[in-house]
Amino acid sequence: MSRNKIFTVAKKELKGIIKTRSQMLVGIFFALWFSVMITIPVVIMVEGSAVVDHFNNLIFYLVLMLGVFMAYLFSGKVFFEEKREGIIETLLCTPLSLREIWSGKVVGVTIIAYLIALLATILITIIANIFSAILLLPSPAILFHIFLVVPAFIAAAIGLLGFGHFLLGMRENQILNISIFIAIFFALFFTKNVISGGYAVSWVEVGVLLIVAVLLLALISYLTRYLSKERIVTTIP
Amino acid sequence: MIEVQNLTKEFNGKTVLDGISFEVKEGEIFGYLGPNGAGKTTTMKIILGLLKPTSGNTLVFGEDIGSNDKLRRRVGILLENDGLYEGLSAYENLDYYSQLYGISDREEKIKNLLDFVGLSDRKDDKVGTFSKGMKRKLGLARAIIHDPEVLFLDEPSSGLDPEAQRMVRELILQLSKEKRTIFLNSHDLDEVQKICSKIAILHGGTIKAYDKVENLRNKFSKPIFEITLIDTADVRNALDILHSLDYVSDCEEDGLRITVTLKEEKSSTILNVLVNKGISVEEAKRLAKSLEDIYLDIVKHSGGER
Repeated sequence: MSRNKIFTVAKKELKGIIKTRSQMLVGIFFALWFSVMITIPVVIMVEGSAVVDHFNNLIFYLVLMLGVFMAYLFSGKVFFEEKREGIIETLLCTPLSLREIWSGKVVGVTIIAYLIALLATILITIIANIFSAILLLPSPAILFHIFLVVPAFIAAAIGLLGFGHFLLGMRENQILNISIFIAIFFALFFTKNVISGGYAVSWVEVGVLLIVAVLLLALISYLTRYLSKERIVTTIP
Repeated sequence: MIEVQNLTKEFNGKTVLDGISFEVKEGEIFGYLGPNGAGKTTTMKIILGLLKPTSGNTLVFGEDIGSNDKLRRRVGILLENDGLYEGLSAYENLDYYSQLYGISDREEKIKNLLDFVGLSDRKDDKVGTFSKGMKRKLGLARAIIHDPEVLFLDEPSSGLDPEAQRMVRELILQLSKEKRTIFLNSHDLDEVQKICSKIAILHGGTIKAYDKVENLRNKFSKPIFEITLIDTADVRNALDILHSLDYVSDCEEDGLRITVTLKEEKSSTILNVLVNKGISVEEAKRLAKSLEDIYLDIVKHSGGER
């Protein structure tokens, strides 16, 4: 695989997403809205030093979920629309291999989804500190989570969604999209319930999640070998 | 340069292509004709490696280009979809593809191509704001950005208004003068007649005719002659003589002109017979059959459109 070709595709996808202002605004709006609406009650309701654990748990869970939500939002445009419009056929006739196209798209969407996840992290930290009596900063394990686990998970989610978009027909993709959207929305909606279990996220959870993300990435990367041009072309509407 | 050997393609048990074979030589402009749904696009997609044949082979430059990334650099394509991103400008679209093909002097190349297709003044506009004809022209520019030796065009002027059709045809004609090999899928007979040197007519999954346009005309044309007489007094006599000949199937009179349809090739004999019987003939010429007539004959004899 050529790194140059992958970065060319990634750069174009980045540019394409940024230029689609409506989608960018929807992404940023959801990230900001969930950050504000979930962080304030979590910080206000908890008293004393327990707020530190709640803050770290919140970032651990919410930033990851928002990252996956952005992955879902943008991969639809990059993989699904390109297939629906038939542009993918032209791309498949260029000197790029199918895996280079897939990889380039995964890299491009991961960058933008991760940047929005980072923006959410900063916002959560600022809001938490406004409503907290003590200084709240992410623990080293959470920082590791933000800088390594979250992008790895986002990439895995995009890879999986992209694989699905390439593999499945339009109707199956629409059903998959709706199911994923409902699942993510509920996962975000019940954030408070998930993080208020009276525990603190440690290196163990972060480490396990990293292993899961890497395994997922490896699995999806392996699965792309089974994607064929014919499968993509014959599932275009 | 392009070889299709015994190609068969089945979709869910239905045979779309049934053992077709043809060859396109270097520099030829090959018209692949057939009604909608005949399997033209399927053939092209198999050649391009987008679909796998059920049996048979397709070769470009002697190899299967579907499995050879480097070989695809030498091929340009314009499919039904223009392959353009509506959210990007004309320039950005061409720039993206030129990077994928590893072109070094991108700026100069893009500028020249935009001039060539007459879209220089719209280079910074989003493609989503373009008309269908403009998109098709930009699609053509995209297809040739890497100077391909072979160009595959799938219904390049389909769905365009007459003005845009003319512009796209002119562009293709200009490209054909650059010694490129062009594979043109079309059901537009006028387009093929104007552009192509060789054609294949696909119908019902098989090739019904495959030759140079002129050879096909000769092969499929019934011998029809138009004879112009000098003297009106000879018309009645000439008609009687012609009707008495057993190899004449039909005669139509229009003033001094008589159109004669023959059952077999007897062009020189018929003229001798008339002259020997004292008929003064001013001119006798064979009427050419249009590609449309040939195409319709073939489709009709194959059981109509499927």
